[in-house]
Amino acid sequence: MDIAVIGINHKTAPVQIREKLSFSPKKAVEANRLLKESLSLEENLILSTCNRVEIYVVSDRNKDYVSGIKDFLSRYHGLDLSEYEESIYVRKDKEAVEHLFGVVAGLDSMVIGEMEISGQVKKAYQDARESLVTGKVLNRLFEKALNTSKKIRTKTLISQGAVSVSSVAVRLAEKILGRLDDKRALIIGTGAIGEQLLMYLRKNNVKSILVANRTMEKAQGLAGRFSATAVPFEVFLDKLADVDIVIASTGAPHHIIHSNDILSLMPRRKQRPLFIIDLAVPRNVEEEINRIDNVYLYNIDDLEKIVNENIKFRKGELDNCFEIIKTSAGNFMDWLVSEKIKNEN
Amino acid sequence: MAAYLKIHGITIYLSYIAFFVASAAAVLYLIQDNALKKKRSGVISSRLPSLSLLDKLNYRSISLGFPMLTISIISGLFWAKNVYGIYWWGYNSRQFYSLVVWLVYAVILHIRLSARLRGRKVALLSIAAFFVIILTLFGTCP
Repeated sequence: MDIAVIGINHKTAPVQIREKLSFSPKKAVEANRLLKESLSLEENLILSTCNRVEIYVVSDRNKDYVSGIKDFLSRYHGLDLSEYEESIYVRKDKEAVEHLFGVVAGLDSMVIGEMEISGQVKKAYQDARESLVTGKVLNRLFEKALNTSKKIRTKTLISQGAVSVSSVAVRLAEKILGRLDDKRALIIGTGAIGEQLLMYLRKNNVKSILVANRTMEKAQGLAGRFSATAVPFEVFLDKLADVDIVIASTGAPHHIIHSNDILSLMPRRKQRPLFIIDLAVPRNVEEEINRIDNVYLYNIDDLEKIVNENIKFRKGELDNCFEIIKTSAGNFMDWLVSEKIKNEN
Repeated sequence: MAAYLKIHGITIYLSYIAFFVASAAAVLYLIQDNALKKKRSGVISSRLPSLSLLDKLNYRSISLGFPMLTISIISGLFWAKNVYGIYWWGYNSRQFYSLVVWLVYAVILHIRLSARLRGRKVALLSIAAFFVIILTLFGTCP
């Protein structure tokens, strides 16, 4: 009896191929049944996320299930095997077990330590179990994988630290301003990163958002998407007196916020702290502003530096995670061997 | 008479505790502020509370400590009058320096309430003020 995983992921295949081979949760249920019938596998489970398509199987060792599964994938998706065969990896037994444990813990993800994957795996596992395509072995394997992932999150620091520019900016805002639900934000310009940051601020319940842009229509468009208020570009300096977070994200080739603007503003602000995020290149905000008391200025490089430090930090935790995975996988393999002996008797 | 002494004793301790909390919050504030300004790595993952919370803690502690100190000084004066027959026995005494402490905190409160300064400079002032308290305690006779 083999446990194996056959799949492709973001490391082996570009998105053009991954999207062709992917299964929606509904399709996965259907495909799981078809796969089980056509290859008479003992157990199987399809895990399909935007970064991977993997098929976990338990099968008779003497069967050539690997080419069977490749054929199935090609037929199901109407894709020639030669288009993606090089991207496919096959892992068996302990290697397959360790692979799954790593995937569920987010160690194999694009952003190491991200947590979304364990929810996706849980869903795929529940669907498969309900449609009876898994059995004793895969059920135990996936339960164990989800447990191990929990253990890794609590015992290591793999998921610590923000790893995107937007999440770093929001965490900094919280460090400076405390709770965000009574804070106001102003975004100047309608750049893409700025928009992403607005989304994060909304998610973190910031009280209100103002949008200023040279073209009012664009400001209104962005404001509409985030239930924000558009304000004329000409008055944005005036609005700086009322807000707590400022995001500068215009295409202006020069500074639009100067040290003197802020200095003369601070008495009107009653010296309340101001967090300025300059996402623009060339920069929109004069650097000297960071020297003013109660004003904190971070530009895109400052934020990216923190992102990179956090990613490096997460990578440093990988060894500890693999240690935990090795032990858990070892325990699982011991159980599997004892099951085999039981079945043979 | 004993009542004056009791009030004096209780309020002076309460005010010192409040001022201690204020200056501890101020120290943490300065550490956090410095890390944020210099964009130190690990500033996000640090366990220190937010600047806003530390600033509030500093301000509220002083707002609590100040009336306590006021009550303490007044009850002390009455007690002195009852025991020694005079309210005031001159400079270079703990009595005198208590007034200095009172004045320093009054200034801090005024600055903070009028929103003339906030954050780092208030934190520095409140640490300095606590030093005056320590000097008063160890540098003078009762």
